[in-house]
Amino acid sequence: MNFPQQLRFAGRAFKRDVKAGELRVLALALIIAVASVTAVGFFTDRIGRAMERQAADILAADLLATSGLALPESIATRAIELGLDTARHTRFPSVVVNQDDESQLVAVKAVTSGYPLRGALKLTTLDAPTEPAPLDTPALGTVWIDVQLKNILAIDQGDTLTLGAKDFIVERLIQYEPDRGENVFEIAPRVMLNMDDLEASQLLGPGSRARFTFLMAGEVSPIDSMKDWLESNVASEVRVQSVRDGSPQLQRALTRAQRFLGLASVVTVLLAGAAIALAVRQFSLHQADASAVLRTLGATRTEVVIWLVLRLAMIVVLASVIGIVVGWFAQLVLAKLLQTWFSMVLPAPGIWAPVIGTLTALIAVAGFGLMPVLRAGRVAVMRVLQRDYSGLDTSVVMTTLIGVIATYFVVLLQSRDWLLSAIVVAGVVAMLGVFALFGRIIIKAVRAVAGARYRLSVAGLQRRAGSSVVQLAAFAMGIMALLLIAIVRVDVLEAWERDIPPDAPNVFVVNIQPDQVDGFKQRLDNQNIKVAGVFPMVRARLAAHNGEATLADEQNERQQRRARREYNLTYSNDLPIAGEIVEGEWWATDGTAEPGWSIEEEWAAHRGYAIGDTLTFKIAGVDVTAPIMSFRKVDWESFQVNFFVVGSPATLVDMPATFVSSFKIDSDFSTTTGGWAREFPGIAALDIGAIMNRVKTLMDRASLAVEYVFLFTVLAGICVLLAAVQSSQGERIRESALLRALGASHHQIKHAVVAEFAILGAIAGLLAAFFATVVAWALSRFVFELPYEFNGWLWIIGVLGGAVGISIAGYFATRRVLTTPPVVALRNTA
Amino acid sequence: MNNSTQSADSAAAQPLADTPVLSGSQIEKSISGPSGLLTILHSLDIAVDNSEAIAIVGPSGSGKSTLLGILAGLDTPTSGSVHMLGENLNDLDEDQRARLRAGKVGFVFQSFQLLPGLNALENVMLPLELSNTPDASDRAMTMLDQVGLADRATHQPLQLSGGEQQRVAVARAFVSNPALLFADEPTGNLDSGTGHKISDLMFSLREQLGSALVLVTHDETLAMRCDRRLRMGDGKLTSV
Repeated sequence: MNFPQQLRFAGRAFKRDVKAGELRVLALALIIAVASVTAVGFFTDRIGRAMERQAADILAADLLATSGLALPESIATRAIELGLDTARHTRFPSVVVNQDDESQLVAVKAVTSGYPLRGALKLTTLDAPTEPAPLDTPALGTVWIDVQLKNILAIDQGDTLTLGAKDFIVERLIQYEPDRGENVFEIAPRVMLNMDDLEASQLLGPGSRARFTFLMAGEVSPIDSMKDWLESNVASEVRVQSVRDGSPQLQRALTRAQRFLGLASVVTVLLAGAAIALAVRQFSLHQADASAVLRTLGATRTEVVIWLVLRLAMIVVLASVIGIVVGWFAQLVLAKLLQTWFSMVLPAPGIWAPVIGTLTALIAVAGFGLMPVLRAGRVAVMRVLQRDYSGLDTSVVMTTLIGVIATYFVVLLQSRDWLLSAIVVAGVVAMLGVFALFGRIIIKAVRAVAGARYRLSVAGLQRRAGSSVVQLAAFAMGIMALLLIAIVRVDVLEAWERDIPPDAPNVFVVNIQPDQVDGFKQRLDNQNIKVAGVFPMVRARLAAHNGEATLADEQNERQQRRARREYNLTYSNDLPIAGEIVEGEWWATDGTAEPGWSIEEEWAAHRGYAIGDTLTFKIAGVDVTAPIMSFRKVDWESFQVNFFVVGSPATLVDMPATFVSSFKIDSDFSTTTGGWAREFPGIAALDIGAIMNRVKTLMDRASLAVEYVFLFTVLAGICVLLAAVQSSQGERIRESALLRALGASHHQIKHAVVAEFAILGAIAGLLAAFFATVVAWALSRFVFELPYEFNGWLWIIGVLGGAVGISIAGYFATRRVLTTPPVVALRNTA
Repeated sequence: MNNSTQSADSAAAQPLADTPVLSGSQIEKSISGPSGLLTILHSLDIAVDNSEAIAIVGPSGSGKSTLLGILAGLDTPTSGSVHMLGENLNDLDEDQRARLRAGKVGFVFQSFQLLPGLNALENVMLPLELSNTPDASDRAMTMLDQVGLADRATHQPLQLSGGEQQRVAVARAFVSNPALLFADEPTGNLDSGTGHKISDLMFSLREQLGSALVLVTHDETLAMRCDRRLRMGDGKLTSV
């Protein structure tokens, strides 16, 4: 046969396959695999991009360039060339004076139109602080102020504030500033004005302590080029910040969400792969007879193999097209659902999802189908005369090996991580091995204890020992995925949410003077506010490491700038809350400790510090040197006051310090903190509830997305169960025909089938619960870094759910067993 | 396609009139069973002349089908040799044996062995397509007409009765005008009336086309219609 003939020949057979339902399960598995990979791909792509945009709110842009000197014009030129949206702001400290000649130190921010490029300011008038009153940019001659300044200077709507040489009318109250969280310790209250007013106010002279920021936003690729360009082209005193360098809380939330979504799609692909493997094996077994006939009639093995391969290729193409269409619509629906939760139009998906979907189908079919198809091509021709010539190559080593390699590549396509894929595949292989081994042992044990009533069912299991173990492994894998989704997902997500404790502080108070500490504590007590602690804060610069000046150490200006950076140190007898010692020891808590430092572990690792090294900080002109005594792990997500560097009291107690505190309030921020500024001059209360809410919202959205994505995993899991049930259908039809011919009643056979599946389901559920526990623990511990709690329901639901679910699925899938007339079944067997 | 297959093709295309179309000498077949090596066929000799019909009869399990498989090149003997259409099957590998059969050897099986994925016409076309014969569809249709199933051409095997399926199988066996036909209990799955019709059809087509026939059966009446009868017993063949 030449190739076009072969193609026609295969085409004809394929048409019949489709009509006869021969490839139904395989097609279904493939469509689900392609649809879920495509939908998850499209969806995670869009959600991922949307979440990055949300994170971008924190910067008010996708990319920032900030400097203490005026920024070179080349940045703007380049950004415009790349088609980016741009804006600027300039921040500096200054003093405002109100109509009563009261003055206050403020943090001025002059902005151009367009600011913020990402996220939005929430503005109200000063009269109605609950009614949104949006405006684009402060009009010339007006300023916007925050709640803190309103309280300190008792400002009303329309009042005049003097800033430098110019008077401004107060027009709006800033309730929320997206990028305010970027620098929580910028303690002074905010005054925002138009950039064009900056010159008129003559506030910025030479030597002013201003920070100039250029904001950029746009598509991923021009942003990446801009970032690269900035990093290699502008003077190193320009600090470049992108979404990914955002605040640690958001970054971790984002990373976790992506891991969840990645995990969901990997599990989906694994399950769909298992369904494909089962279905393709079934297809090949069915084709053994046909291939023997073909070869009897003169076809070579190659021709038979090509005939089978072409049919599989056709099903891959057909299923991929249907899968991509289904996947596209599925993600449209999902995106629409989530659209309302995201405060933006979801970005368009990339083109990779359908490509990955098709590749997944192709690799899965090729990997799992190659050996069975080759085997079907090599089947002993004598089969046409004597059925007991199975002739099927029983060596499973090669099949398994190729299957494992295919699984690896399929997982790799999803995870894009060589090592992670290897670990996942090794885990799955080990798991299937254990399923098979224990399955066999348990089936034997069940047979030993089964009474006469169930003997027929258990005998059925053992008669089909080979396929029973395959089915058992597939059921266990499917149930495990469903358990992980149904229960563990909830556990992990809850643990994640618990990560922000309900009593997490939402107010920070800074700049409390030493003589105000007791009074302030009393004030909080009067207002029934519980405080975890009031911590001293000492501003310092890092001067030397082991006696060597750190400035000389740092290789480039950027590092030097970091070295020049001011740090907030604290001192304490006790280990601060939300911290634990990972190396070294905490000092004596009775106040007798020698001078020493305790350093945050990542901060120390980054700089290569070791226990026993000495660090010198310059504080108010004085060098303070002490050895590093311990490294601490700090839980930044606790929202408690945290410090990179803590000294023992003896180290810092004599240094000039202000005090800081944090606590949770349930009432309105501005009402609660209203009188504080006048009562304790200089202190600043910061509302971080808004920022925390954003982190929480992000987590909620991410977990919602994950739940939707897991729907596909459930579908794939069901497909595995279906494929596994189908794989023994032919055998069951023949057996039950025989039993019915021998006089078994309809009821007896139904009972036997259901009981056999129930036993299989219960065993699979037991194994699945065990592995789900192990996997959940490992995921919590190593992937999501969350505490894991043992869940007993897993076992109960696993075993009961497995027995009930599988027997129902088995009953429906094998209804043909009961409806096929024995004579038809037996004639087809002959 | 390799050289030896080509030589097989050319040899088969012009079978020599004075050599048997099929011959086996000293055929032995042993398989390893639970109680050691079990010899099914003992040094058998057999020859089938052009257009000759021979029947191999014997009880179930006597090794008739094993012999048929070896003679047709579907299986290999433990020792001895088989010559088919002028080729020593021992010199050919499995694919070359398949090539040798393509279009020149027909089969009728007890269980019909129609491909479930193909309709009646497509099943009949198979041997022609496998031997790259032109006009496969027309010739197959003519053959279906000859067996009286022209109106069932587009039916699936499962939509046909047992007798009809076997008629399709007969049409498939003769469509390529084979030099040699193997039939394994062709009426074994059919009632006696249908069985008669099938055997009439088979023998009339055989006479018409001049194909040699090797028929394995335990039906003595059917065997009587052949030119020669051989009885299989204890792994040996004896003339009846």
